Amino acid sequence: MTTPKPDLQPQPVDQPTKQRTWKARGRILSMPISVLAIWAALYIAASAIPALPVPGMGGMITLNAIMTAISGMILGPAAALANAAGGIVGMLLYPYGFSAGPLGFLTVTLGGLVAGLLFADRWLLAAILEVLVIGAWFVNPAARQTGMWLVPLPYSAIALIVILVKPIRVWIRKSILTLHKVYMWPAVFLMVCVGHSVEYLTTNDMVNWMYKLTWQYWVPTLPYWIGVDTVIILVSTAVGVGVLVGLRKARLPQFADTLEK
Amino acid sequence: MSDNEIIRCQDLHFSYPNGLEALKNINLTISRGEYVAFVGQNGSGKTTLVKHFNGLLKPTQGSVQVFGEETRGKKVSALARKVGYVFQNPDDMLFCSSVEEEVAYGPTMLGFEAAEVKEKVESILQELGLVAHKETHPFALSLGDRQRLAVACVLSLDPEVFAFDEPTTGQDYFGGESIMELVDQLHDKGKTILIITHDMPLVAEHAHRVVVINQGQIALDGTPKDVFSQTEYLRTLSLRSPQVTLLAQNLGLKDRTVLNIEEMVAWLEKEYLPAPKKVTGGIA
Amino acid sequence: MMNIDFASLSSPLQKLDGRTKLIALLGIFILALLFSQPYYVLGLLVLVLVIWWIGRLPWNLIKTILQFLLVIAIIILVVQIFFYPGKTNLVHISAPIKFIGFSGYITLEGLMFGIAMVLRLVVIMIVAPLMVMTTPLPEFMVALVKLKVPYRFAFIMTTALSLLPSIQNHAAIIQQAQLCRGITNFENKNLVTKLRAMAGLLVPLILGTFRDSQTLDVAMSSRAFGAPVKRTFLLESRLSAVDYIILVTTVLLLVAGIYLRIRGYGAL
Repeated sequence: MTTPKPDLQPQPVDQPTKQRTWKARGRILSMPISVLAIWAALYIAASAIPALPVPGMGGMITLNAIMTAISGMILGPAAALANAAGGIVGMLLYPYGFSAGPLGFLTVTLGGLVAGLLFADRWLLAAILEVLVIGAWFVNPAARQTGMWLVPLPYSAIALIVILVKPIRVWIRKSILTLHKVYMWPAVFLMVCVGHSVEYLTTNDMVNWMYKLTWQYWVPTLPYWIGVDTVIILVSTAVGVGVLVGLRKARLPQFADTLEK
Repeated sequence: MSDNEIIRCQDLHFSYPNGLEALKNINLTISRGEYVAFVGQNGSGKTTLVKHFNGLLKPTQGSVQVFGEETRGKKVSALARKVGYVFQNPDDMLFCSSVEEEVAYGPTMLGFEAAEVKEKVESILQELGLVAHKETHPFALSLGDRQRLAVACVLSLDPEVFAFDEPTTGQDYFGGESIMELVDQLHDKGKTILIITHDMPLVAEHAHRVVVINQGQIALDGTPKDVFSQTEYLRTLSLRSPQVTLLAQNLGLKDRTVLNIEEMVAWLEKEYLPAPKKVTGGIA
Repeated sequence: MMNIDFASLSSPLQKLDGRTKLIALLGIFILALLFSQPYYVLGLLVLVLVIWWIGRLPWNLIKTILQFLLVIAIIILVVQIFFYPGKTNLVHISAPIKFIGFSGYITLEGLMFGIAMVLRLVVIMIVAPLMVMTTPLPEFMVALVKLKVPYRFAFIMTTALSLLPSIQNHAAIIQQAQLCRGITNFENKNLVTKLRAMAGLLVPLILGTFRDSQTLDVAMSSRAFGAPVKRTFLLESRLSAVDYIILVTTVLLLVAGIYLRIRGYGAL
């Protein structure tokens, strides 16, 4: 009979154990892998359902836009992984929602990541990523053209302000963690702005960079895009509040459980 | 169609889009105030049939008339006011953030005034014993209470017919009893009750009429006493009469059917014990 | 759209390892982004179509993809034709309209650039189905893991995929249940109302799925998920000679492409 491998042997109780516990192995960034898999599955299902037409992007905006927008609040930074997993498989199964080519899943990954980091109070990282995403827009020489600077507005600007201004950050987290009856709504709204604007701007970054569209396309279509974004953000706010409250009341797992109130 | 016949199926055939023929040649009439149980194996078509009564499914051939009108061409949300359907899993029906909101949702959507809605909600919550939970989030309730809430939501639309999909499956004895008490109360008020179930004792205890579905067709249609007396035939359909019925039959009772424990005890005391006969066969 | 019946498609591409296809896909993607001269991109497109033909993939799928891309392709073309800062004037349209940046001419460079961008779009959009249609998802997962994607991430994907049918089923039931409560939103043609209906479906769906899957965590733990052992896969995937040839070719093409670009070719 072979002796068990060293790292399977039980550790003496008084020795601080360096290896992760079994329980911790089942988690990434504090969220159980099973929960991330469930989210990814929901994400894929949502990718199948078209919601709004997108003129000129050759596809539809599907319900996974809502999922991306709320993922950060529900799953924390691990939302990036769940969205990525769901995004990759969703892209393979239901391509009509993804227009940025094979790397399109990165848009939703970042959306979940920035919002999640913000919710986990790693605001500096979130800020750095947000600045990178906005910066990527302006780095593109096409962006110096007339009016292109308008495109990240208003939601990316709101997102940046939310991330950088401490009192707002703190207030948002508190309102969501305590499920405040009134303040929760604007708090969730702002978080959703962050999540969605990152996804939206990253998509635009990629599309602009790949196909070199010019301001003559971006600026006139801006009113439509802002309209679309607003609708998505409003709807996502409603869904986000419903899910956050429901998860808490039913004592189901969510990232907020791992935070101190 | 007489005024009392509220649901009528004529030569109903239904096939799923993938070609699977689920219902064949169904001819069935249900009258006002009836208490009907639909039983059958898994996949026999009982749920498929009942889903035709509120328009969730439309016949591929033949006709289904509800309160005198064809279901084809009618929207489910419109028929929901006449035929209520309570799903097996109450969570599938709930989506508001408080019990009060849930029950108020239906009437509000139908356009009732706020004061009327409030009144309605109050009375329904009273009836179903949910007043204490008025402000509670539906997901914080126990399963039994969530079921009651689902019934309350359907009740708020004030339909005449109530269809229940497996109301006791997955529940313990007391949970099942509790929900059936509720169903009986609704029936006493004059509602027409349709129950889809596997639970034979439930059927024996509560239903006035049993429709046995087998492979998409009606195999038996009669009172529980009639249906459960045909033990051999039911066995070929992979269905079993309640244990009590089988026990009585095996103890030699041929001319009647025992449906529940009270009848069993009465029969044992009056007829069997004075002159016991030899037991034939087992209960299985 | 991508739910393909692999059994009916007998394509030589199926014999290739998943890793090869992924790397080739990436290679073609990079090449498409490198070049902006229409002839080069056209060459790439021809290559992709040849691979499509070798792969015996259905041609009507290309048609579907093209239809799908039609509007954005036209937009790209129009934007580039009219607004690309080109030098060689082709067709005089009107007097320069300064405020929208229109020089008054359609330029040759604009036309070429527009065509190049459209071709690039087509190449990128066709390359993905090439990979997807010839690789069953389990093989795809194994390929990812062999390419050093962490196993736990691939696990999330496979588990998600297995949970998908029951979620879709559940969604249909919730929709029916809401109809039975008199909610008319699904039957409405109005887009915004439909969206509200979808949102109303999402909350119970998400909550219900979380609730139903609570035992998943326990199931995973009780089957030793995360144990510190080396994993053996059920699906063995090895690189064959053909795989190596293709991999080498891809790398060579990439190197050649980068070299050409550095030397100034391939871009307008």
